[in-house]
Amino acid sequence: MASTTEAATGRQGTEARPRARWTRNISAKIAAIPMIATALVVFVGGTIWTVVYSFTDSKLLPRLRWVGFDQYERLWSQNRWLISIENLMFYGVMSLVFTVTMGFILAVLMDQKIRFEDTFRTIMLYPFALSFIVTGLVWQWILNPQFGIQGVVRDMGWTSFSFDPLNNPQTVLYGLLIAGLWQGTGFVMCLMLAGLRGIDEDIWKAARVDGIPTWKTYVMVIIPMMRPVFITTLVIVASGIIRLYDLVVAMTSGGPGGNASQVPAMYVYDYMFQAQNLGQGFAASTMMLLSVLIVLIPWAYLEFGGKKHG
Amino acid sequence: MARALSPRRLWLTTAAAWFVALLIFFPVLWMILTSFKTEPSAVAMPPQFLSADWTLENYAEVWARSDYPRFFWNSVVIAVGSTLLGLVIAIPSAWAMAFVPGRKTKDLLMWMLSTKMMPAVAVMIPLYLIFQRLGLMDTKIGLVLVLMLMNLPIIIWMLYTYFKEIPGEILEASRMDGATLWGEIIHVLTPMALPGIASTMLLNIILAWNEAFWTIVLTTTRAAPLSAFIASFSAPQGLFYAKLSAASAMAILPILILGWFSQKQLVRGLTFGAVK
Repeated sequence: MASTTEAATGRQGTEARPRARWTRNISAKIAAIPMIATALVVFVGGTIWTVVYSFTDSKLLPRLRWVGFDQYERLWSQNRWLISIENLMFYGVMSLVFTVTMGFILAVLMDQKIRFEDTFRTIMLYPFALSFIVTGLVWQWILNPQFGIQGVVRDMGWTSFSFDPLNNPQTVLYGLLIAGLWQGTGFVMCLMLAGLRGIDEDIWKAARVDGIPTWKTYVMVIIPMMRPVFITTLVIVASGIIRLYDLVVAMTSGGPGGNASQVPAMYVYDYMFQAQNLGQGFAASTMMLLSVLIVLIPWAYLEFGGKKHG
Repeated sequence: MARALSPRRLWLTTAAAWFVALLIFFPVLWMILTSFKTEPSAVAMPPQFLSADWTLENYAEVWARSDYPRFFWNSVVIAVGSTLLGLVIAIPSAWAMAFVPGRKTKDLLMWMLSTKMMPAVAVMIPLYLIFQRLGLMDTKIGLVLVLMLMNLPIIIWMLYTYFKEIPGEILEASRMDGATLWGEIIHVLTPMALPGIASTMLLNIILAWNEAFWTIVLTTTRAAPLSAFIASFSAPQGLFYAKLSAASAMAILPILILGWFSQKQLVRGLTFGAVK
């Protein structure tokens, strides 16, 4: 008797389930439609449009007169573009390395019960919450030879002291880097701190029992365990770097000497709005897209897509 | 947390931490102080702390010279509007991905995120042309739409992480009790995920508030928010540091205050949900 009821409900269950799952999937698909639609129309649509028009000679207005790869040939023969790429690579590598290392070291130091931790973290995050324009203005001032650090130190008596990174083509990128680090390090620190807090206390106990030195535990055990946090950080920081624009505009407008701190986003913007040569701008932005596709996406995809981490 | 410290070392690390914090905060602090100085006092050498000429004139002049309330209102409408609109779209999507994952869900999520890495300039002209055709240039609605689109991937990603932590059984139970799908999302899921949603909102308000690229491209005067307001002050009037500081302070103050009173959400939001 009992077994027949069970069999009956069981059968009912298997009968009901496929339908239930089917309807649930339908509602899930409907729920996801607005997102997919907007993303498709704007990002995919806009991107394809840009790529298509990069093969035309569009000037002030987009028009479909094909010129093949002319725009790309021109792009890669432009000194300004080459400098932009070089600058972005330099800035990108430096800022990745420094924000991540400094953020991690700070997080390790922070990984104790310090007083007023929430307030402390809020302060560390403030630079990240301020726009790049404000960051740029503040640092442009601090690095100003007359009114900033150089001026202050000279005023204290060291008249030969020289610290003027923004007006020297050789050092202008370091100046940008300082402002970028100021903005990003606190943020990376908070991410890393979260990662450190997520590590099981038992691991530390085990390491202590085995007599492994603290630094070695960090390098050999903790950092490998924090892989997902590192990946998240790298992706967020890297995607910020590729779009680097506002900071340069606010601090140097691409100078000194006209080109010393140019970045690709600026090249695109100028060709589209100032030089009114849309085709060239499209070609440049297609190259930027391509570099994102080549560098970031397969890598991020492997890291995020392959594992349980979303 | 990793190791128990002696009280003395604890004080040392606390002091060191606060020193770093002060160092980080100093530029902002200096800017705010400068905004209350007269122009000569602002650029005096050596820098003046106590001996400075304090004044409120910079604020008065910035206020008089430009229509701050309008910029401010535009910023509020754009930041809040784009965040709310984003949530309306993102909550159902994140629900679908967190509780009804299909085989393609991971790919979809990854793809959404990767759009955030795209350089904005790649879709700039198509968007610009669409905006021109639809008469959305220099309108708040237009900016709300664009900033919503730009931040949608982040909203979805964050909501997805928060939703994933809610046990699916609770939703199932509500469904057993006869809740409809929308009832389930609105009355069960949303209240449970409220802290996460609050963090997401805060982060997106900040991101939208600070957005400079799109606001400068897509607005001229009517719909320009505070980020455009600072940019306008830095360009033509020459370098008047005190006034520039006052303008910047007026632009960032809402964020500083908002962040201070919602520290937990700010930290969690700005770290994209990594801090629990």
